[in-house]
Amino acid sequence: MLDNTWNNILGWFNDRSERAKVVRSFNESARIAFVSGIAPTLLKASISKGESSYKHQFSNWLNTGFRIQAFTGRVLKKEELIHIGKVILDDSNLVRRLIVLGWDTLEIHGDEGPYGCRWQLKDYIPLPKFNEHE
Amino acid sequence: MNMNDTLIQSSIKVAKNAITTETEVQTNWWMWLAIAEFGILAFLILKKQFKLKDTDKQRFKNESLKDDIDFGNIINSSFNSIQLYDELKVKCHPDRFPTDIEKNLIAEKIFQEISKNKNNVKRLLDLKEEAIQKLNINF
Repeated sequence: MLDNTWNNILGWFNDRSERAKVVRSFNESARIAFVSGIAPTLLKASISKGESSYKHQFSNWLNTGFRIQAFTGRVLKKEELIHIGKVILDDSNLVRRLIVLGWDTLEIHGDEGPYGCRWQLKDYIPLPKFNEHE
Repeated sequence: MNMNDTLIQSSIKVAKNAITTETEVQTNWWMWLAIAEFGILAFLILKKQFKLKDTDKQRFKNESLKDDIDFGNIINSSFNSIQLYDELKVKCHPDRFPTDIEKNLIAEKIFQEISKNKNNVKRLLDLKEEAIQKLNINF
């Protein structure tokens, strides 16, 4: 039992650090792309509440949404938001990483209002079944 | 006689004080050394004992965290892949090489790869280069 608790504590701290690293790397790349003119809109990743019905075996208790928001520049159309979502979902390495770090929802939002798109991450990567009592 | 007694007593007192102080300092030093040794031993034992368990789930997680992610390509693809894909799918379509069987086969292979990687600018640029070299297409 002590072993298990210790594992959970270690795992939690590792995950927190990795989650922050993913968000930071995304924001840094988005900033560079916007400044250099590759991207017409500044994207910003953040951690959101997520959708509780999208849970999977790696899901965190809280804050399970990976949200990308279009900030400055021009306002994105719905098709563009869907396209950004598809680009992310097509990158199997990124989706797998998001899943193992406890995210279960991908959200792409525009600059203003509650308008946005949402995807269930586990639909895009086949997750093996693990023996929890191992 | 009295004077001598007082002198002897004072000397004994000073000597006693000196001995007591030295012993106390030594005791403190050994105590801290023992605590440090205990700490090191406890750390080594606990480190081995409480190492992260290597379960299937943990293994899957570690494998997933190993791969590098090219965020620059993802952001570039988010805004520029549609245009590049549209250009490539027209220029590399196998129907553009109906007479040359060899080129038709290469075009078909490249076209399939283009369709598969339509949201990946980096891969599309590689395919564009391949098309220029193998199919002699001018973009």
